[in-house]
Amino acid sequence: MDKKQLTGLLYLAPVLILIIAFFLYPSISIIKTSFYQTRYGINFTFVGLKNYRILFGDEVFHASLINSLIWTVTGLILQLTIPTGTALLLNQRFFGNTAARAAMLVPWITPSVIIAIMARWILEPELGMLNDVLLKIGLIHNPINFLGSLNAALPTLILTQTWQFIPFGTLLILAALQTIPRDLYDAMKVDGAGPFQLLRYLILPKIGPMIGFMVFLAFVWNFNVFDKIWLTTQGGPVNATMTLPVMVYKRAFKTFRLGQSSAVGTITVVGLIVLGIIYFKYLWKPIKQE
Amino acid sequence: MATSKSIKRILIYAAVCIFLFVCVFPFAWVLTGSFHNVSQIMKGQVHWIPREPTLENYIPLFFSKMGIKNFPIYILNSLIIGCATAVLSSIVAALGGYGLSRYDFYGKDALSRMMLFIYVFPVVLLALPINDTMAWMRLVNSRLGIILIHTALAAPFCTWLLRSFFDSIPKEIEESAAVDGANKIQALMRIVLPLAAPGVLVAAVYSLVSSWGEYMFASILISSDSLKTLPLGIAMYTSEQYIEWGQMLGGTVLTFVPLLLIFMPLSKRFLQGFIEGAIK
Repeated sequence: MDKKQLTGLLYLAPVLILIIAFFLYPSISIIKTSFYQTRYGINFTFVGLKNYRILFGDEVFHASLINSLIWTVTGLILQLTIPTGTALLLNQRFFGNTAARAAMLVPWITPSVIIAIMARWILEPELGMLNDVLLKIGLIHNPINFLGSLNAALPTLILTQTWQFIPFGTLLILAALQTIPRDLYDAMKVDGAGPFQLLRYLILPKIGPMIGFMVFLAFVWNFNVFDKIWLTTQGGPVNATMTLPVMVYKRAFKTFRLGQSSAVGTITVVGLIVLGIIYFKYLWKPIKQE
Repeated sequence: MATSKSIKRILIYAAVCIFLFVCVFPFAWVLTGSFHNVSQIMKGQVHWIPREPTLENYIPLFFSKMGIKNFPIYILNSLIIGCATAVLSSIVAALGGYGLSRYDFYGKDALSRMMLFIYVFPVVLLALPINDTMAWMRLVNSRLGIILIHTALAAPFCTWLLRSFFDSIPKEIEESAAVDGANKIQALMRIVLPLAAPGVLVAAVYSLVSSWGEYMFASILISSDSLKTLPLGIAMYTSEQYIEWGQMLGGTVLTFVPLLLIFMPLSKRFLQGFIEGAIK
């Protein structure tokens, strides 16, 4: 390695140290801890695969796995299709208004704590405005306990999460749409292309790279959610909203099963690395060609 | 023909309005709610325009010994931690982004991707070992510990963001400075950095915003009330059986509005940087 390369790496040293200390080392550390049993963080005893065996028979783990899957997949589908639709609708000449765009960024930058408090207040069964509105227009006859009932809690949180993503996703797709020159639409229409052909041969290829990027963004955005769930339902009622991140937190910091928490973490990390490699290998490339 | 076109236009405007309403109504509702008195809030009698607007949800946050007590201290802590994180993370990211943009070395592309890839891991997975590291460094229950973690959370993304900013500054400018006798560091400080300043500002504001709202690490590491940040301070009261919604809404507004005021002027630039980084 010559001097110039070394200087380049030197510039990167601070951020790399942070990544090693706060991402890489912890990832390795949880793999190690997953083979140990501890009591309140002391007395580490090596137990081999025992933590994993416990997990595979643990109903909470099954629920978390399934919920994480539902949570991420439904989230991804909703958060890719709805913004594409709204962006196509809003892709008009007059829609250059900066204030409107700024307003659309607001939900995205809102801290999870604020989202959680807003959701809890608006969805409150007795004093929340949503139940009030639904009752008044006659859609429901009894208030729904959105965050407190077994059937409603998970879909409600998925929709909250989706609501928060839609405006930002719309902005991203709009940005991609606006790279398509107006004349191209007209030229294709003259050639007799209908809306479907326009979408298939002009719009989708153009916004493809952005959608590819959004797959990554929305996946991370959904799968990793912890605080919004913790501050609204704590994974309840009866594990209805328990996802893998929530389970990791609960086992580590509430019931102090550090080994089990780390085993869940390890399984998750390995799964994510596999998905990540697949993504960067097959979906990332088209973005670089752009 | 003309009328059908204008009908279409009206329909689109209506769609835009509905869409924007859906985006912002929860915020507006919380804002309105915070100006109602407690009994109205607890009976669910909140109206878009408060009948008797009141500040009774805000004043106790600063002067009362009941409910959310140390609110001014939470604001101060969030400010200290947020600003320190912004400064640290934009320095780290500016250096890293510059290195990625200007130097060629083995594994550069992999490193560049890694800046984003690490966000695949939910930070909650890493909380346990990070907690141990912090204990080892004796930084549990300290602002410095939180500042370090918040910097680590924001800096890789900012590095990725700043790389595309540096890429858009032509190399020739630096080279001509070198001809004029400036060394590398001088060229970076005097010529490149001023040009990249808008990007660095975006990175700083992003770091501040993400630190301001971070809850999990703060909740794990901070135990003294006098060190708590705003999210921690208000979240404490959501776990109780009886929620004092009045002060809660007031606290929510006061946590959120400063964030908006800091972020909004830069929102356009943030979006631009984000999109450039994504498509390039």
